[in-house]
Amino acid sequence: MLVRVQNLVKRYGNLLALDHFSMEVGEGEILGLLGPNGSGKTTTINCILSLLEYDKGVIEVFGKAMAPDAYESKRNIGVVMQNVAVFQELRVDENIDYFCGMYVSDAKARRRLVDKAIDFVGLGEFRTFYPKKLSGGLLRRLNIACGIAHEPKLIFLDEPTVAVDPQSRNKILEGIRDLNRQGATVVYTSHYMEEVEQLCTRIVIMDKGKTLAMGTKDELKAMINDGDTVTVELYALQPDHVANIRQLPHVTRAEYADNRLAVHFDGGQHNLLTLLDYLKSRDLSFGRVFSEQPTLNDVFLEITGRQLRD
Amino acid sequence: MFMHIYKYRLRCLARDREMVFWTLIFPLILATMFHFAFDQLMGRQEAFRPIRTAVVASDAYRQNVAFRQALDALSGPGEGQLIELTVTDDREARRLLADGAVAGVITVGDPIGLTVSQSGIEQSILKAVLDEYAHRYATVTGILEEHPADPGGLLWELGQMRSYTQQISFSSAEPDTTLNFFYALIAMTCLYGGFLGLRNTTDVQADLSPQGARRSVAPTHKLGVVLYDSAAALTISLAEVTVLLAYLMLALRVNFGNQVWYVLLTSLAGCIAGVSLGAFIGTFVRKSENAKTGILIGTTMTMSFLAGLMIDTMKHTIARKAPVLSYINPAALITDAFYSLYVFASHRRFFLNIGLLLLISGAMCTLSFLRLRRDRYASL
Repeated sequence: MLVRVQNLVKRYGNLLALDHFSMEVGEGEILGLLGPNGSGKTTTINCILSLLEYDKGVIEVFGKAMAPDAYESKRNIGVVMQNVAVFQELRVDENIDYFCGMYVSDAKARRRLVDKAIDFVGLGEFRTFYPKKLSGGLLRRLNIACGIAHEPKLIFLDEPTVAVDPQSRNKILEGIRDLNRQGATVVYTSHYMEEVEQLCTRIVIMDKGKTLAMGTKDELKAMINDGDTVTVELYALQPDHVANIRQLPHVTRAEYADNRLAVHFDGGQHNLLTLLDYLKSRDLSFGRVFSEQPTLNDVFLEITGRQLRD
Repeated sequence: MFMHIYKYRLRCLARDREMVFWTLIFPLILATMFHFAFDQLMGRQEAFRPIRTAVVASDAYRQNVAFRQALDALSGPGEGQLIELTVTDDREARRLLADGAVAGVITVGDPIGLTVSQSGIEQSILKAVLDEYAHRYATVTGILEEHPADPGGLLWELGQMRSYTQQISFSSAEPDTTLNFFYALIAMTCLYGGFLGLRNTTDVQADLSPQGARRSVAPTHKLGVVLYDSAAALTISLAEVTVLLAYLMLALRVNFGNQVWYVLLTSLAGCIAGVSLGAFIGTFVRKSENAKTGILIGTTMTMSFLAGLMIDTMKHTIARKAPVLSYINPAALITDAFYSLYVFASHRRFFLNIGLLLLISGAMCTLSFLRLRRDRYASL
């Protein structure tokens, strides 16, 4: 394991930010830390990086206890902060060179790494620009380049796509996949479940400083995937029909709102045909029909009773 | 590693336009304003026009050769001309006086008379001149009557104006009462190096800036980063004070004497004190960035005020009424170091000031680092 966190407890005064939180990160993974704002994702990262004091728990990185003076471990860690951490007075290439130089002292090697990082984030034509001249998306890319230019083995990315345009977001996500393909292990925090679903090989869902669930995307969905949800566009469905549909085989839930009927089936086969047969038999005309797989939001909803973006 | 961090820190600080304004441009503007203000003031004080005076051309005047020669000497054109003389009859002289065309009318007789229409500086000078003449005339006459043997040597001695005190400047500089303002200005500029120290502490602490957080996770010892940053801040601050000194000496012709290396040593010690003060405020004041900047400006202005930036006698008032303040106020120590260079032949007082400055700076640096070196933060 590259990172091992055990029973981590962190309090801010009376607020319990991390409540016996545990997780592990294996080599070559992209681990997603998913949770709503204030769930403790950034606090976890900052504790792992030895920036924050914590009340209790064990943190190991590269098999050694993590500490502020664990320089050997730190040399192999890259961090992309949630807030853009660059100097406004330095140009794009100077910013990357500056932060890279805190890890790599050889100037020749550093020049190569800086050029590579600039190409990687697609800032080639902006390399002599000052940060204030960059758009929000380009600034985020610079922030990433500053964190990964020294080619670390373990990279922490804390919400790197917040307030980023779709084009830059795709570029960033592609870049993270590339880094992983090149051998980097990635810890990625986000409250965007779509990103985490797309990107991460394993996911930790957390809320109120606790681990709610952990596993691959499929494992997590399997926790609640005891059936399918079928949605049908219908105009003016009477409540007695909804009641009748609830009586159909394997139906566990049926709700009608905004001209849409959502029916959840608990296992079984040919559920869609059964539902459509019922609608035809009652001469109920319908529009489009969707069959949906559960999302991570459904997992979160199932566990907490709340939406992920609450 | 030192050169890498030092080089980029220099660039960061030198390219921070707002900071460069306060630490360099603002003192240059103040120096220029001081220069023009003092220039006008000194110009007004030094302008002197000969006093227009009338003398009545009576028989007594024509017969009094000694007095005529004395008036000729006082009214002769040149730098020493004291009066502008009009010799005329009694009626015309009184008309000139009534019209305000002359400050006074001299009537030769026994005694010599002076008629004025009002009192003022010019009239007082005329009276003093006539009194002096009458006094010397009476003295010489008296001596000649009592000691007729050697009148020549005695008269020569009486003609000499002797000064029994001699003005010596150990620094080859002319005495200048406005210098204390410039000393206080240099002290203020040194202490404005605090802006650089303040910025450094912000950029190194993870709980104050994202840049601080990013630097804290790098595999670099924090003491190293703090020292390299401080070296860059000190370099910038000293360069700015040197530019100010060069501007004062070369462009504004302010004379600091001939001890340039000591002046630079004072500037270096002042800059160390300034950067340390900024680091101290940045580390110990747990307020917003703007609040810290406000506190730094307030502190440096108060120190400079107490050192005589606005009132030239303030430094002496503090030294008399609250002497302890003079020994713990870095601005006062800087101005006093300059002052002692300018006034005293010995460097004892100069080195006492420099020593105290370095002691205060050392204390602020040590306390700041003890606070900065903490490993982890309670919150970010």
